[in-house]
Amino acid sequence: MTGGPDDERDLRAAEYVLGTLPAAERAALDLERTLDPATEAAVRGWERRLAPLDSVGPDVVPDAGIWPRIAASLPGRRPTSAANDNRVAALARQVRLWRGTALAAGGLAAGLALFVAVGAWPVGRGEPRYVAVVSRSGESPALIVSVDLAAGTAQVRPVAAETPDGRSLELWYVEGGAPKTLGVIGGSARRVTLPKGEANPDGLFAVSVEPPGGSPTGQPTGPVIYSGKLIRD
Amino acid sequence: MWERMVRPVRDDATLLRLMSAVAQGDAQSLKSLYDLTAPKLYGVISRIQRDRAAAEDVLQDVYLRVWQSAGSYDPQSGRPLAWLCAIARNRAIDVVRRKGEVQGPVTEDGEDWVERLADPHDSEGAILGRDALRACLQRLDETQRDCIVLAYCEGYSREELAARYDRPVNTIKTWLHRGLAALRGCLEPAS
Repeated sequence: MTGGPDDERDLRAAEYVLGTLPAAERAALDLERTLDPATEAAVRGWERRLAPLDSVGPDVVPDAGIWPRIAASLPGRRPTSAANDNRVAALARQVRLWRGTALAAGGLAAGLALFVAVGAWPVGRGEPRYVAVVSRSGESPALIVSVDLAAGTAQVRPVAAETPDGRSLELWYVEGGAPKTLGVIGGSARRVTLPKGEANPDGLFAVSVEPPGGSPTGQPTGPVIYSGKLIRD
Repeated sequence: MWERMVRPVRDDATLLRLMSAVAQGDAQSLKSLYDLTAPKLYGVISRIQRDRAAAEDVLQDVYLRVWQSAGSYDPQSGRPLAWLCAIARNRAIDVVRRKGEVQGPVTEDGEDWVERLADPHDSEGAILGRDALRACLQRLDETQRDCIVLAYCEGYSREELAARYDRPVNTIKTWLHRGLAALRGCLEPAS
């Protein structure tokens, strides 16, 4: 493992963990980790190797005023969020299970995994409900989209979507033709309206990296880093 | 002895229980997690981001991220304190690199950090890989070792190391790569 592309990637990952990569290369590696499981594994490897150095520095007690600031800035969670997060944990387990199966079957497309998961989602009165767990290869969900096809709306809940510095993440709905934007993803849950007449159980949700504020062209211009299919609840 | 008694009890089982509760939206557990781990994380952050107000902002941001992403923590991927420290280091480095600022004077030299790896009193208990890392760091060329340790523990950039050693930035990059490759070879001779 010397001199080849694997070695080059591993040293970039090492400098990323060390913190010595220049800002632009650091941002690029942030994105590469989301796309390439081998890069992510290289980063994790260096975090593990160097972690003992975290234990040697002295503790520094922060000012007593910091906790109140944190407490005051916690995003409000709706009363149902605890139950939802249980589902997130359950869905995350299913992702890992699914990924193991896909790897065993040799069916995992490089860098990008779509997956579906059957979760216990809150069921309304009779109307069909769908959920899409939007993720990158084999990792915990980045977003959870729960869709009400009858109403033509979707609830978009960011879970662990990571936005590269100075960029925006934009959510797209893809069914048949060109992707339709559902807007830039913020930090909190929101309800969006699906494209009229196109909300369909075969739909796919995808997240691309765009310039700040979203794609200037109305179509994805940056790489797709997360995606997920609709499944019926 | 007294010093050891007042150290916070942040064993894996306690941290795992708190993180699981945080993942379920329990703000009180986030407070308990903060009380146990904030001094450690703030130590990591403030050695990298030496501006106090900026370091406090990073600490606040780190716990907001923990609040939002505790559910994605996978115990298989590493110990909970290592997961928290990685978030803290990453956020602190992000901020100092983005600003491109050159920070103040040196507070430690690399040798001190390596020596502390051997100090049994300043420990979170048995640290996996600690002795191996110390032994392998000590086998490195001294300058390469100091560059690695100062970057990791104090957030030195390539430019700051270049200024410290009065060498071009590319030389520093070469030193870092040689040192890191040698470290990897020492820790994992089979790979």
